[in-house]
Order: sequence, then structure tokens, then C-alpha cells
Amino acid sequence: MAAAAAAAGRARRGAPVYSQKELTSKKRGEFEDILEERRMSSDLRYAMKCYAPVIYKGLSPCKPSAIKSAVLHSEQVQYVIRQLAKETGESSDIIQEAAMEILDEMGHSMQLGAVRFFAFTLSKIFKRLFQRVCVNEEGMQRLQQAIQEHPVVLLPSHRSYVDFLMLSYLLYTYDLALPVIAAGIDFLGMKIVGELLRRAGAFFMRRSFGGNRLYWAVFAEYVKTMLRNGYAPVEFFLEGTRSRTAKTLTPKFGLLSIVMEPFFKREVFDTYLVPISISYERILEESLYAYELLGVPKPKESTSGLLKARRILSDNFGTIHIYVGQPVSLRTLASGRINRCPYNLVPRHLPQKPSEDIQEFVSDVAYKMELLQIENMVLSPWVLAAAVLLQNLPAMDFELLIEKTLWLKGLTQTFGGFIEWPEEVYSCFSFLRDVFSDEFIFFPGISLKDFEEGCFLLTKCDAIQTTQQEIYPTDKGSVVISFLSAMFRPFLEGYQLIFRYLSKEAKAAFTEKQFIPGVRNFVFQLLEKGNTQCYEALSSDIQKNALAALVQLGAVKKKKMTNGFTYSINQEAVNKILDMFVFRNQLPRRNDTYPEEPPPREPPPASAAAAVQPRRLRSGAALCRVCGCLGPRVCGRCRRAAYCGPEHQALDWRRGHRRTCAQPGAADDLEDAVPDHNEFLFPEYEILIEPEEPESPADSSVDPDDEAAIDTSGNSDKQEELRATGSASEALESLDEETLEAMAKHETEDDKIFQKFKERIAAEPEQIIRYCRGGEGPIWVSGENVPEEKDIPNCSCGAKRIFEFQIMPQLLNHMKVDSLGESIDWGTLVVYTCANNCNEGNQYTEEFIWKQDFSAGSM
Amino acid sequence: MAASAEEAAGSGPGSPSSARRRLSVISGHLRGSPWAPGREGPSPSPCKAQGAPAAPASGSIPKKRQELLKWNGWGYNDSKFIFNKKGQAEFTGRRYRLGGMVLPTFKEWIEKTFGASLEHKSTSRASLNVNDVPPSVVNEEFLRDLIATKISYSQDAEDRVFRGHGHCLHEIFALREGIFRRIPDIVVWPVCHEDVVKIVELACKHSLCIIPFGGGTSVSSALECPEEEKRTIVSLDTSQMNRILWIDEKNLTACVEAGIVGQDLEKQLAESGFCTGHEPDSMEFSSLGGWVATRASGMKKNIYGNIEDLVIHIKMVTPRGIVEKNCQVPRMSTGPDIHHFIMGSEGTLGVVTEVTIKIRPVPEYQKYGSVVFPNFERGVACLREVAKQRCAPASIRLVDNAQFQFGHALKPQVASIFTSFLDGLKKFYITKFKGFDPNVLCVATLLFEGDREKVLQHEKQVYDIATKFGGLAAGEDNGQRGYMLTFVIAYLRDLGLDYYIIGESFETSVPWDRVLDLCRNVKERIARECKEKGVQFAPFSTCRVTQTYDAGACVYFYFAFNYRGISDPIHVYEQIERAAREEILANGGSLSHHHGVGKLRKRWMKESISDVGLGMLRSVKEYVDPNNIFGNKNLL
Repeated sequence: MAAAAAAAGRARRGAPVYSQKELTSKKRGEFEDILEERRMSSDLRYAMKCYAPVIYKGLSPCKPSAIKSAVLHSEQVQYVIRQLAKETGESSDIIQEAAMEILDEMGHSMQLGAVRFFAFTLSKIFKRLFQRVCVNEEGMQRLQQAIQEHPVVLLPSHRSYVDFLMLSYLLYTYDLALPVIAAGIDFLGMKIVGELLRRAGAFFMRRSFGGNRLYWAVFAEYVKTMLRNGYAPVEFFLEGTRSRTAKTLTPKFGLLSIVMEPFFKREVFDTYLVPISISYERILEESLYAYELLGVPKPKESTSGLLKARRILSDNFGTIHIYVGQPVSLRTLASGRINRCPYNLVPRHLPQKPSEDIQEFVSDVAYKMELLQIENMVLSPWVLAAAVLLQNLPAMDFELLIEKTLWLKGLTQTFGGFIEWPEEVYSCFSFLRDVFSDEFIFFPGISLKDFEEGCFLLTKCDAIQTTQQEIYPTDKGSVVISFLSAMFRPFLEGYQLIFRYLSKEAKAAFTEKQFIPGVRNFVFQLLEKGNTQCYEALSSDIQKNALAALVQLGAVKKKKMTNGFTYSINQEAVNKILDMFVFRNQLPRRNDTYPEEPPPREPPPASAAAAVQPRRLRSGAALCRVCGCLGPRVCGRCRRAAYCGPEHQALDWRRGHRRTCAQPGAADDLEDAVPDHNEFLFPEYEILIEPEEPESPADSSVDPDDEAAIDTSGNSDKQEELRATGSASEALESLDEETLEAMAKHETEDDKIFQKFKERIAAEPEQIIRYCRGGEGPIWVSGENVPEEKDIPNCSCGAKRIFEFQIMPQLLNHMKVDSLGESIDWGTLVVYTCANNCNEGNQYTEEFIWKQDFSAGSM
Repeated sequence: MAASAEEAAGSGPGSPSSARRRLSVISGHLRGSPWAPGREGPSPSPCKAQGAPAAPASGSIPKKRQELLKWNGWGYNDSKFIFNKKGQAEFTGRRYRLGGMVLPTFKEWIEKTFGASLEHKSTSRASLNVNDVPPSVVNEEFLRDLIATKISYSQDAEDRVFRGHGHCLHEIFALREGIFRRIPDIVVWPVCHEDVVKIVELACKHSLCIIPFGGGTSVSSALECPEEEKRTIVSLDTSQMNRILWIDEKNLTACVEAGIVGQDLEKQLAESGFCTGHEPDSMEFSSLGGWVATRASGMKKNIYGNIEDLVIHIKMVTPRGIVEKNCQVPRMSTGPDIHHFIMGSEGTLGVVTEVTIKIRPVPEYQKYGSVVFPNFERGVACLREVAKQRCAPASIRLVDNAQFQFGHALKPQVASIFTSFLDGLKKFYITKFKGFDPNVLCVATLLFEGDREKVLQHEKQVYDIATKFGGLAAGEDNGQRGYMLTFVIAYLRDLGLDYYIIGESFETSVPWDRVLDLCRNVKERIARECKEKGVQFAPFSTCRVTQTYDAGACVYFYFAFNYRGISDPIHVYEQIERAAREEILANGGSLSHHHGVGKLRKRWMKESISDVGLGMLRSVKEYVDPNNIFGNKNLL
């Protein structure tokens, strides 16, 4: 008997959530960044787009108010009203009125206007907060299908307030019916925002209403009516509240059993439950949660609280992954599980306490849905790294962190975890190919072809399998792969050692003569300590090749000296073009910030000039002593010095405020404490704008004679520098043919351009900016790295970008960032802006900047 | 399944009955005087058997059924749908109003609805191959005893095959394919109650299995012989017990032998100016005994009641003896009504031999009618209101849009009475002026009966209610065509089978508030199951609310699909049908309203009537028939 019961129990539980097969070979679709498009095109246009969503096939559209009246007059609610009237002796009209009030408090009033408002603002906010919002497109397609077929219940995980709006935003983006969202009543406490949410489709439920039969009846009927009619997808959080720890909370069953009831009673054919996993790299409320968990009570939702929360807008919260799971058919889940009898024997409008097996079923479904949510949570490298770091506080070696993180990655994958790893074989290949360009022979410029050929060869010997998307190493292939990788290992490790030497040990500039013994010494020491087994790194062949490759990659600069070459590590290779941004903000002449008329030309009186940095704006807002941004914080001791944040306060403290702070009446000193030039602020200058003198005819075409003449004139920095380096260098020793040729080439082509550059600026050598919007274009410092038209992307509004101005290298000099090899550096910075001057109001628009360096050869 | 609606309508000259009579003559059977007993008045035990051992059939259906009826399909041999040389659909024969008419739009409908092509034909075996039939295994001693009783019998393969099946899809399919697993070993034709008593006694003596056979229109696998039955199976064909024994005009009752088929019963009563008013769709072929054994329901039950309301007295022969009441009274309080053990027993307890049934004078006036509704929901609401006010006409049915379109596809070329209300002005009025969507609207068909004045009054009352629900009177013709459909559709299945289309009907009863949900969900379930089972073309599924009661309604479904590309269509079909039944039960519908359980729906009996309920029925069976002589294995 007992055995039979146990067997029945198992059968009732149905199939296990996981099967062995699923665990290891789970394939999940590709993610798509929905913000990418938002960054490319107008948010306003997006918000105003034609929105004709996909809706339930059986839907007869109706207004939110019609739903309310249908609920109020439904048999279910009327029955409870009559019951209550009988029990309490109150007139049913009064109870009906109470029901109406409940409905008004609860009901949403979705309006397209509010939706568009959110679409616009959320675009702005999300773009600021998050790098990417990634969505699995396949899931969205499945959802689109599901919405048309049957009523849909969206069950997202709940980690943050962002969850609320994220799904609506998503569905709007994909042109799907917007969900109605069950929200806590406390949102209604927020002025304006509560109403806005209501208009965006939120409906509000009291946190506890177990005892209130009328409330329960009205609420349940409201949700069921919307579901039955297929009015909109119903969205709620199984966890009931935001998880403060990012662990999934045990599910709440109330709402779930409500949305399942129409199916149990067969008022709908089926209901789709869609588990949705929203994974954050960093959660907006992280510090708030920490406080809460420590016992500081949760602040009441308020509009001012939300406004305060705006502070976080300046932070970067990484990437959100939204995985829309496979819609789960409630019918399929229930098949064989539910005894239909109880629902057939009682009129359907009577409130009925769910039977035990129904309760059990609801609970099973809830857990299953949460497990599905968990299963599809995305783990990013940062999450794994953070997990490793937490076990290795206070600090750990970087290499070890990487190693441990990779280990954890492997472990996670074995456990069936869902990992999004920024990993692409081809880019790795391409990088290595460049690094080893002097070690092995590659035909230049056919990297992709090489890659494909490599894949083909490896596939041929069964070492790997390739599919459309992925490449897998096979079991059989391990022999081949381990042999091949062992072949390459000495080179890889050798290069690594050499790079380590360069980044740690090498001087700013060195000669090959210094380099080789240096590396040898470095490697030798490591070998002795047993930190490496790579004897190959002692070979000068590898060393030379590695150096050549670095030169090729632009990581090391090679300078021609009179007596040979010196190398310098090119720090600016770090300052890649990616790190430079240019923003345009077009203030109209009449604006809120600046006066319409320009300030007087004559310099201000001397006393005023002393105040280089105003400490306060005219409005009274304090400015940070260090950077000059808004400084809401003040030094706790003197209550005078203002800062933007703790970092700058600490900096200023170390730098001298510690001394002046305690002195009473040292207000004036405060100014002095900020030096003209610190690590944070560039010195300030006034820019004078003058038209350039007409060009002399000789400039337009530089003939060899002119060039020679100027060359000998010796008034250019370049010549001076050449001379200086020339004198400093030792001996013209190992001038091999190759370098001679390179020099010859550069002199004939590049120097011509550089000469021209020099001539143009000769008239005004101090110039820092050359402005000529849409004009003849920049003057280049070198023939290398000159952009073609296709390299300059169009503006987000679709218009072409045209040249506006260029920033000259002289600026570096003025800004005192001219120490070679350490500071940022450029030959010239060329800014291209929208030809249409598209204007997004009082905002910064990103424009395009092109950086051109003095080429290594021309130095 | 098929009703002869036109007969009920009192069709004019060229009556099919004369044709039938002619056929009977040609088939060489002697003709008795079917209504003689009625005229002669009550005669307690007039057994013809004594005088004429092989007494010929006197009814519309001959003893050798195959001479008049199809061996592998529904109905009369001469009536069927065909595609003529021009490729147009046509209904042959002269029995029905549709006979000899061309249906110009039907071909297109069938192609569009099923994705069927007339080029792909699947043909049945032309005739029964006797070699396919299992041999008759009959005990010699029994045969000797049987011959001694002078009861007519046959061991002929055709006779046996004909009584080994009903009209379920799989049964017809097996006939067409020539597959016979287990069929009766011998057919006996008792002509009176005493004959039946003798046969049952012999069966008990020789340990045989008896399967009673009435009209053979079962759609519940009730006539299928259990494959594992080792005893000799005797098919007890009641068709020769077809006399009206007496008519009692004072009490308005008639005592009738149970083998009489519906059309004969009505015809013969009509001679005396009476009718029973019990008109199941299969009344041309189904028998009184069969109605009792399955708890049948008739189209006009709103006036006359279902079989359980009509029956006054039943005589049944069981292995334990004869069961009957001692008087013929309208009602008695003597414990549970034993009639209710008999009605719906589906041949598991014994053979019903004589039934006393209520009769009514033939109604003075009949009128068809129809109402269009903008959609099915409004239509159901209207029917519910009609039922609530208890003013339902003799028949009221609501067909959904698909069935309405289907009815249209069967519009004959010769317009005459079939002129469609959707033609010309009326069409314009309904679709443009009233804003009805032809792809959504649905139609209720009505049949009023009674004296002229009352009918007209009644009609007005119903139309007034309909108006409240957005209904629009749509004429008599349309109503009539609706009723025509019910008999035609049974013939249509045979046509479908020729073109890779298989289909079936099933029914249920359901509370009013669940009607809409049930109709929608069942249709959706069918569509989904078809898709899952690899049916290439979306199935045709349609329903009608066919009866109304105070507390609910009877819903009738038709379902068919094109099975090309499916290797085992019958299995797929049965899976889908089972899923549909599951869906019905899940939606609060019953296992059956009037088709019965048979062997087809046995699996759900326990769920339907509970363990104890089933035990009660079992204990009755055990007492009445401990040796399982009536071993057709139906119901329990």
C-alpha cells in the first residue's frame, strides 16, 4: 500500500525538471542588444513610432473602463456582494460602491500616450545606465507566437525596480501587446509616478488582503477577466517582491492560482506561462539592499526618493540579459494531473477553495517556473570574477584571478550554467596572427581566409566540428590539438615573457643592444626561480621577432638614430582612438545659461582674475575644489571646502587641505590651495580666434626645391628634434638594408606631407585649433592613417558628417602633457560633425573624432 | 444518425415509401400487411411463428438487408453522393428530396475545406469477398435444437457480416478494406416474443453468446463482436418482430414489437392518425428496441419527450427470465424504476421484445423557420432564453458558421424551395444593412408543430426573443435545409472516404453556462491534436446546439479531415476522437447524450458514474445474466 502510494506520488510529480541530456547540451539562442538601435536613431521617433502590436487572436478590443464594469457586474463579484450583504446586513448598494472603489484604486488605465512617454524616457535612462540590454530574439519570436494563440502570463524574475518597466519597454520595442503588471499598492503613494505607471499598464494590489473577501473577489476577477479576454499579457512576479540577495525567493502562489483558474474551469483553452530571466551585472539598488538587509527599513516609495535615485544615472551598470523562456503550456503541465470533477460539480462563478491536488499542482508549477527562471539566468565574466574575488579578500593576484575565473567558468558550464562569454575564436586568431607576423609566414591581409583554411584542415582531421555558429573541439581531436598547441607553446610563452619584460623592466627608450641582454637576463632569472620553463625565450631570434612584431603593431616605437635605432614603448597605443569622444552641444544664442551678448573683450580686473576657479555658481551651488564640478559634499571639519565626491576630497586632503583645513579664517587660502596645474585639471587659457591669412601660392604645390629650402631653414620643431636626437644618439651601427629602405620610403612620401603641415602652421605656430566647418578639410601631419570617406560614419540622424575643426598637437604643449611616451599624444585630432546640424535640444550629441599620429617612421 | 426530415415534413407525391415498396417486391419477399394488427385492435399474443416459420419481413427493411442497403456504407444502395462526368457533385436516387440534383458549389467547398483533390481516390472493395470472412462455428446440437424451434436462421457470410458492425468510422473502414476479425457465427430472426424466449433458453443450454441486433445504426462499437469471444455468437436480429400489437386510443398508448424501425412505426401509426413523435436522425433504420437499449433521443423531444418519457411498459427477455411491470401506468412509486435498468443497458442484460409507448394525434400543422444571429455567442444566449421561458418549438437547433457554410455548399442547382436567403436582396440586407459578417454569423433552425393558430402564436413568441439577441428571421427554406443536412451528412462520409477524408460525429450534453467554452475548446483541441498528429490540412470541425433543456443543452459535433500522408489514419482518428472526448469531459460535458457508451467510450464510465455506480450496474448484470450470455461487452 505504501509502495503504491509512493509510486503514485512520483507519477503525480511528473517528469523531472531536468533530464541528463538537457543539462549538458542546452542550446540557447543568440542575444540581441536592443539599446544598439536606440543609440543609432532618434528616441523621439522611436517613442512616436506606429505601434500596432500583435494581440491575442480572440480579442475583441475594449477600454480599461469596460473591463472594470465587466468585473463589477460579473457573477463572481455580484455573488460575493450578495453574500456579504446577507451576512453583514449592509445594503448591497453600499458594498457595490466599495467594490467600485477597490476597482478604481486597483485598475490600470493603459494609454498609448503614457506608453510613449515611457518609451522615450526609458530609452534615455537605459542608455545612460546600461551598456547593453540583451534579449534573446528567439524567445521574443516565440512570445509573439504565444501571444496570438492563447492568453499569456509573463513571469519575470525580480531583482530590481527596473524589471517593472523593462518588460513593457521590450514588448513595445518588439511590437507586442503591452502587459498589465501587478504592482504593489505602495507605488500609488508616489505622486504622479503612480498615476503614470497606472497609465502604462500597472494595476495595484494590496500587500495583504487575505481576510477581505470583497477585495479578493474583485481582484481575482479583475485579473481573470483580463486574462480570459486576452486583453493583454498579465505580468507579475512569482517571488512577490524584489530579491535583495539576487537569490531567487520562494514563490508566492496567490496570483499564480488566480491566473490558472480560468484554465481549470476551461474558460480558456490554454494559458501560456512564460518564465523570463532578467540578469543584471550590477543591480541599481545594490547599496539600498545592503542597508535593508542590515535592518534599515525599506523606504516608502516616493517620488522624491525616485528623484534622488537619479544620482545613479551617472554610474555604469553594465549589461542586462533578458532571456524570454519557452512559453509553457498550462494545459500540458496539467494533463493527467488535475481531477476535473471538482470544477464540474460547482457553478463556475462560486468562489471555491482549491482542492489539495490543485494546491499541490500550483505549487509545483510555481517552483518549476522559478527553476526555469534560474536556469536561464545569464552569468557574465564579471559575476564569476566577483564570486572568485569574494573568496579571496582582501586581494588576489590578477593572474590567479583570471585562472580561477576560467576554472569557475568551466565548472559552471559543467553544471549547465548559462554563460555569456565575450569570446570569439576569429578575433583571437586574428590577434595572434598579427603578433606572430614576424615569426611565421602569413600572406598579408587574408586573415579570414587563413582562419577558414585552418578550420577546414582541423575539421578534415576530425579535430574540431564546426556548425554555423560554433566550433567544438572533438574528443578524437584531442591528440591533434594537444600536439599542435604544444608546438606553438614555446612561442606563445616566449612572447609573453618578452612582453612582461617590456611592461615591467624596460626603460622608456632602449636600443636593441640593451633589449636583448635585458630580456635574456629577465628570462634567466625567471628560469632560475623556476617561474617558467620556457628556455626558448632566451633565443635572440624569438626576441628580435617579438620586437619587430610589436613595432608592427605600434606598441613599440622605433626611432632612427645616427648610430642605430632606439625603441620606446608606445604608451599611446593604449590611448586608442576608442578612448576619445567628442560631443556637440549647440546652444542657441538665446539660452538659459549664458547671456546673449559676449563678455567684454578687455580682461577682467586683476583682483577678479585671481579667482581662477569660482567656488560657487551664481545660484549658490558649491563647486568641487578639485575638478570644478558640482560639489554637494563639504569637508566635515571646516564645512567650507566643497567636493564632488570622496575621491577628490581624499586627494585634496593629501595635497594640502589637511594643513589649511584646521586654520580658522583660511577661507582665502582655500583658493591658493588649488594650484594652477594639478593632476586633475588642465591649465585654463583663453582661445583667440582669428582668420588665417590667405595661402601663398607656393603652399598649394610643394615642389622639391621649396622643400629643400625649408628643410635647410631649420626652424621647425621637427628638424630641431631630429638634430637633437641625432646628436644624442651614439653610432650609426647596424643600419641594415631593410631600415634604410624604410627610411627612404618615408622620406619621399610622408615627409612631403609633414612639410606641408609645417608650412601651413608656420604663420601662426601657436595655433591649437583649426576651424573650417565643411571647408577644405584638415591638414594632415602624415600620409598614414588618413580616413577615407567611408571611414567616417553618418550621424544618427542619417546625415553625412563633415569636417568641422581639427585640434593641433601644439595643444599638448599648452596643457603640459608633452612628456614623450607617458602622456596622451596625437598628431592631430580631426572632428567631423553632422552636416545637417541635427539638434536634440539641450543635449550633448556624440560626434566623430579621428586621431592621426605622427607615424613611427617620420619621427 | 440520418433522419428523414422530409418525411416528417409530410412530403407530397412521389413518396419514397412507394419506391421502397416496389423494391421490396422486386426483392422477392412476400409482403404482409404491416398495419393489420393495429386495425384489428389489441391482440395479446399474436405470434406469427407458428403458422409460417420463415415469415417474411413486412417492414421497409428486408430480412436480407444487403438487398436494399449498402454493405460498406450508410443507407440505401441507390442513394449516394457522386461526382458526375462534369465533375459536379450529385446525389443519386429518388428517395430523398436532394435525389437527382446537382450541387454546383459542393466540389469547390470540399476542395477548399479539406484540401482534397478529386484526382486522388481511395476506393473500397467493390463487393464482399466471402473468403475474407471468418467461418461460422456453430455447435451441431444447438443447430438441431434451433431447427426444431422453426425459427429462421442463416449462416451466410453476408448476413453475418452485416450484423457484425455498426457505423463507427473504424467499422466502415474495415468493411471497405475487407478486414474482419470476429463476426457473428449465426443470425436468427425471431418473429415474436416467444421465439426470443426460446432462443435465450437455447443459448443458456448450449452456452452461447447472444448479441441483439436492431437497426444496426450504432455509433459506439456496440455491435462489434468481442474478438476474444470463444463461444458461438448468435446475432439476434429483431427486425422480424415489427408489428404494432395494439393501439389504445383512450389512454393514447400503443404496444409495439421492439424490432420495428422508426419510419415503419410512424407510417403505420399515421394510418390511424397517430404518431409517437420520436424522431432520432436515424429513424429510417433504427429500431424501437434499439432506442430503448441506448436511451435514444428524438429531434422533437421538446413536445414528445425522449424515449424514457415515452415508454410506459417494457417486456424484456433475460437469461434469468422475463422482466416487466404488472401494469401500464404513467408513474409508480415502487422503488427504483426497473425501466431504468433496461433503458441504456445496450444489450448486456437481455432482449427487449415488446414496448408500450405513448402516442399522440398527428399534428395538424408544421412549420419550419430559421433565425440568423450575428455570432454564435448571441445564438446560444437566445437558445438559453428560449429554454428558460420553456417555449422551445418542437425542434430548435443552432448551427455554427462552419456548418452554415457547409449547408450552403449543398445548395442544389435547381433553386425551387432551396432558394437561399443569402441571395439577392436578402443577402444585401443581412450583410450590408445589418452588418452581419458572413464568416461569423450563425443560424438557428426551427420546427413548429401543433394546431395552426398555436404554431403561429408560438412562432411569434420565439422570434420576439430572437430579436432581443440580435437575431433576424431568415425564412423557412433555410430552416428546412438545416434539417436536411442531418441525414445527408451520413451519406457524405462515404463520399469523403473515397477521397481520403475521414470523419465522424459525436455528441454530449452540457450545462448552459459551459456551452460556449465547451464548443470552442473542443474545436481547438481537435485542431491542435490534428496538428500534432501530422494531419496536413486543417480539420473541418463544426458543432451545433441540437437540443435545449432547462438546465443545459445537447451539443453535436462533426469532425473530418484529409488523411493523405498519414500511414494509419484510423489510429490517428481514434486518438483525436479520444482527445476530443477528454476535452468534453474536462469542460463539464457528459460522456454521451444519446449515442450511448458501447465499447467505444467504456474507458470513461468509471469517471462518469463513480466506482460505486459502476458496481451497482455490475451487480444487476451479475444477477440477471450470471453466465454473460449477452456478452457484447458493452457499457461495463
